[in-house]
Amino acid sequence: MMTTYIRVEFTRHFRDGYNLIFALLLPAAMYILFGNIPSYTALDLGAGNVKFYLMISMAAYGAAVSTVAIAGTVATETMQGWGRQIALTKMPPAVFVGSKMIVAATVAGISAAIVFTLGAATGAQVNEPWIWGASYLIVLLGAMIFACYGIGVGMVFKSESALGLASGLMVFFAFFGNVFMPLEGGMLDAARFTPMFGYVALARYPLLKDMPAGVEMAPDPLWMPTANLVAWAIIFALFAVVATRKAKARQ
Amino acid sequence: MQTLIRTEAVSLTGLTKTFSTPRTKVQAVKGIDLQIPTGQIVAFLGPNGAGKTTTIDMILGLTQPTAGAAKILGLDPPQAVSSGRVSAVLQTGGLLRDMTVKETVTVIASMHGKPDRINEVMERTGLTRIAKRRVGKCSGGEQQRIKFALALLPDPDVLILDEPTAGMDVMARREFWSTMRSEATQGRTVIFATHYLEEAQNFAERTILMSQGKIVADGATAELRQLISGRTLSASFPSEDQGEQAATFDQSVQITERNGSRFAFQCQNSDRFAAALLGEYQAYDLEISSPSLEDAFIQLTKDAS
Repeated sequence: MMTTYIRVEFTRHFRDGYNLIFALLLPAAMYILFGNIPSYTALDLGAGNVKFYLMISMAAYGAAVSTVAIAGTVATETMQGWGRQIALTKMPPAVFVGSKMIVAATVAGISAAIVFTLGAATGAQVNEPWIWGASYLIVLLGAMIFACYGIGVGMVFKSESALGLASGLMVFFAFFGNVFMPLEGGMLDAARFTPMFGYVALARYPLLKDMPAGVEMAPDPLWMPTANLVAWAIIFALFAVVATRKAKARQ
Repeated sequence: MQTLIRTEAVSLTGLTKTFSTPRTKVQAVKGIDLQIPTGQIVAFLGPNGAGKTTTIDMILGLTQPTAGAAKILGLDPPQAVSSGRVSAVLQTGGLLRDMTVKETVTVIASMHGKPDRINEVMERTGLTRIAKRRVGKCSGGEQQRIKFALALLPDPDVLILDEPTAGMDVMARREFWSTMRSEATQGRTVIFATHYLEEAQNFAERTILMSQGKIVADGATAELRQLISGRTLSASFPSEDQGEQAATFDQSVQITERNGSRFAFQCQNSDRFAAALLGEYQAYDLEISSPSLEDAFIQLTKDAS
């Protein structure tokens, strides 16, 4: 029953995907735009170059946004009565959520893969080949914490436009999470507490890990982004649970 | 011995549902006891807010009762649902606009583990023609037919429809019930909620009237019409005083409606009262009508409150 559902989900999302344009094409377009400014993108950085750094940033943003958009539909569809329709079949609700997560992870994976492919084709470089795989995996797995965020926002606002809002807020999180451009001083200190900071810092860690502390762009010690990611994962999970309970009680 | 073999299609005992908000408690369903034998076609009739949908939700296990229990074919609701022995056409939503008709049926069929029934059900509910259309582009009547098809997929013994024709025009309603009649009556138990009295009259052998969370009447649909004996007479009078005087004709006469100098009465002996109205009380524009289920309904729900 799960495979049929997942297949139909893909057909649906690819048929009229305003969300998918944002999820798949926007990060790629941004990478091409910012990743190819000749003045600095070819410079060395950590174990690779600035292009590689920007490639990770854009891939992480794209993966997180697509996860939010698709996971959020769990909420909006549940509230539209689809949840009740499913409740009248054999399929447990957990399988419904599980199917959505597989779709979300797949789209996030495709989104990140497009950016990584563009990166490879346009000169993103790294000395140790395993860093390609490691960065990609961290981008993909870390994006999953934003599924809970998407579900929570969807449950609170119950509409599809709310998912637009949720994705829009991700741009804000990305700016203040040190994703789009390197922050400094007080801004950077504040950024360490925002939801995308830990995620993107971890994804960049394999690239930057050997930089001596104190150098510009040097990474924080590993525990800092890890603590940020874990804390936000817990916050988002709680948010999703509370929002779901409230939404169902009002139904 | 017979009682051992017979299983009620639906059996409700002391079914109660209270919704709590921080400030108030609303008792939506106030202790319903009900037995529906297999094969019966039953209408739940009542105005909005009577507790019909809440009752149906509890029968289907979509809502947990605050007290009491619902059994379907002797099973707990979740068991009955997952074994496909009961299914329902829900009132609101329940369809995704950007799926096609075929996709919707396919997905739900796979969730029931009955992919082999897709084509048959679509054919019988007349969906084959619009299989590739998006649900969002289907008319209200077509969407309702899709939901009906989804309910038929598990080939249920008990079929529950919550206001299946709400928002349809007359033609679509007629069409829906004719499909319904041919498809859903072969030995199935059918329970439908409606606020169209006509639908209860035309389709149900038994009607259960609900008002404010309680059952106010339960009986054969035809019997229910006889619950109110007598006729309704409406007439206009030269003055309001004369209308009020007419109401004192005998014990059984009651004013049911008044609008300026036009009065509606209910009485036992309508022939004698009619003659008196036209003679003694100088009434004109006299109309005599037998009660519809609607009148019975208004009367009964008034009594209950």
